[in-house]
Amino acid sequence: MSAESTTAINRSIVDLLDFIDWSGVECLNHNTAHSLPNAIKQGYREDEGLYLESDADEQLLIYLPFTQVVKLHSIVVKGPEEEGPKTVKLFSNREHMGFSNVNDFPPSDTAVLTPDNLKGKPVVLKFVKFQNVRSLTIFIEDNQSGSEVTKVDKIALFGTTVETTDMKGLKKIEDNH
Amino acid sequence: MVLEATMICIDNSEWMRNGDYSPSRLRAQADAVSLICGAKTQSNPENTVGILTMGGKGVRVLTTPTTDLGKILACMHELDIGGEMNIAAGIQVAQLALKHRQNKNQRQRIIVFAGSPVKYDRKVMEMIGKKLKKNSVAIDIVNFGEDDDGKPEKLEALLAAVNNNDSSHLVHVPTGPNALSDVLISSPVFTADGEGGSGFAAAAAAAAAGGVSDFDFGVDPNIDPELALALRVSMEEERARQEAAAKRAADEASRQGKEEEPSSNSQDATMTDNTNNTAAETTEKTADPMDEEKSLLERAFAMSMGTSVSDTSMADADTSKATDEDKELALALQMSMQDDTKDPSNQSDMSKVLGDQSFVSSILTSLPGVDPNDPSVKDLIASLQGQPEVCP
Repeated sequence: MSAESTTAINRSIVDLLDFIDWSGVECLNHNTAHSLPNAIKQGYREDEGLYLESDADEQLLIYLPFTQVVKLHSIVVKGPEEEGPKTVKLFSNREHMGFSNVNDFPPSDTAVLTPDNLKGKPVVLKFVKFQNVRSLTIFIEDNQSGSEVTKVDKIALFGTTVETTDMKGLKKIEDNH
Repeated sequence: MVLEATMICIDNSEWMRNGDYSPSRLRAQADAVSLICGAKTQSNPENTVGILTMGGKGVRVLTTPTTDLGKILACMHELDIGGEMNIAAGIQVAQLALKHRQNKNQRQRIIVFAGSPVKYDRKVMEMIGKKLKKNSVAIDIVNFGEDDDGKPEKLEALLAAVNNNDSSHLVHVPTGPNALSDVLISSPVFTADGEGGSGFAAAAAAAAAGGVSDFDFGVDPNIDPELALALRVSMEEERARQEAAAKRAADEASRQGKEEEPSSNSQDATMTDNTNNTAAETTEKTADPMDEEKSLLERAFAMSMGTSVSDTSMADADTSKATDEDKELALALQMSMQDDTKDPSNQSDMSKVLGDQSFVSSILTSLPGVDPNDPSVKDLIASLQGQPEVCP
């Protein structure tokens, strides 16, 4: 899905993939052969064969900064039934977290994924907590079957942008003159 | 040129008083640390290095990761010895120090000098390794000093748990003439730095050891490629010649082989003393004229014994330097005669050969660059007339 243009006021929920700042993306405890872009990048994430896998144990810590401030509405996490993630904690605007301090402060939201979610049903988040998100940290605490390795096929974030900085819309107005 | 923050864990326990690495284990570590810091900073100016000690009363961080080499070297001077090494706590504190580094873009690396026995068991080491891997911290372990049973296995368990795509390494440094730093320079601890680090390491090797390093022939190909190449070629020629000589010895009577080998070995010793004063183990790695000299002598003896010369690798042996050769030839003959006096079984054969003055002078004239009218050569031939004696 691409961002919608024209009016700045009526913003519908879009895929926030375009607003991810790739230079700052980090993922801890992932298997280098199965890394984060497999789960997030357009095209890669639709491919069943490409997934994100954890390494030393079943936890994963993903840090996604955005190029602009966004509001986060819902997320989709897809994965296999057995090794797909179960408890997912989201932290907004916390930089450079490590496994040692994930439990130091409460998450902005926690999602316990059901098998439906793993097939693609979005998890709606507490919108009020994600009004002003510069960066998002996703902590995958465990997986469905309790296995040593967690696999994630796809992670998609949905939300809206905050400011009226839709450049495409701006250009169109100018063209009308 | 990878951007990296490094924490170096130094062992300053009581075991480090030992002098099996000169001047003492602790000072050997300090030298290695200063080399590492230099290499890291050179390969990328934004790299940071920090130091902590594991022994003493407890783990103590001397500097947090910094680019300031002066600060690090100042800390190295203040090291004192005591207590026991606490490797688990040391690694954990190092991990914490790296976590709070200023520049979060830097990769994390820990270098541990494990000189004293490891009192933790394998399980603990593996758990530490797992934690490091989870937080994407690489580790380089330098195993030296005490070698109690179980220590190598424990360190290898730690390495296996941490290792991710070969970014972590374990280096064993045995006791011996080589200094700790020199062994490290050629190990992956340094060479993993890439081009910048290895260039620095090469310069350090040439400056510090003066020949006793793991670079072949004590000369780094980076610094002086032609010399390194020339030395390598002469070394290979010498090896081929010695193999041929050994083969001839095996074919013919064993006495011939003994004569040639001791004479060539003694020539080695003589020439080394004459030319340069490097350590004894580099006797073979001397300059070209000596190799050619030896080859000529061996060929001459072989011809006298009636065997065919099998190796042709000394085609260029004729281009030798005159002045050195005279002296060396004389000395060589004297030395070989000396060996005869020591070895009675050789004596009869050898003195028969050398007693034949016409034969000897024919050899000498056949050697290019030897002037039979040269007074020293004449003296030598004269002395061969009599019984073999101890030479002046």
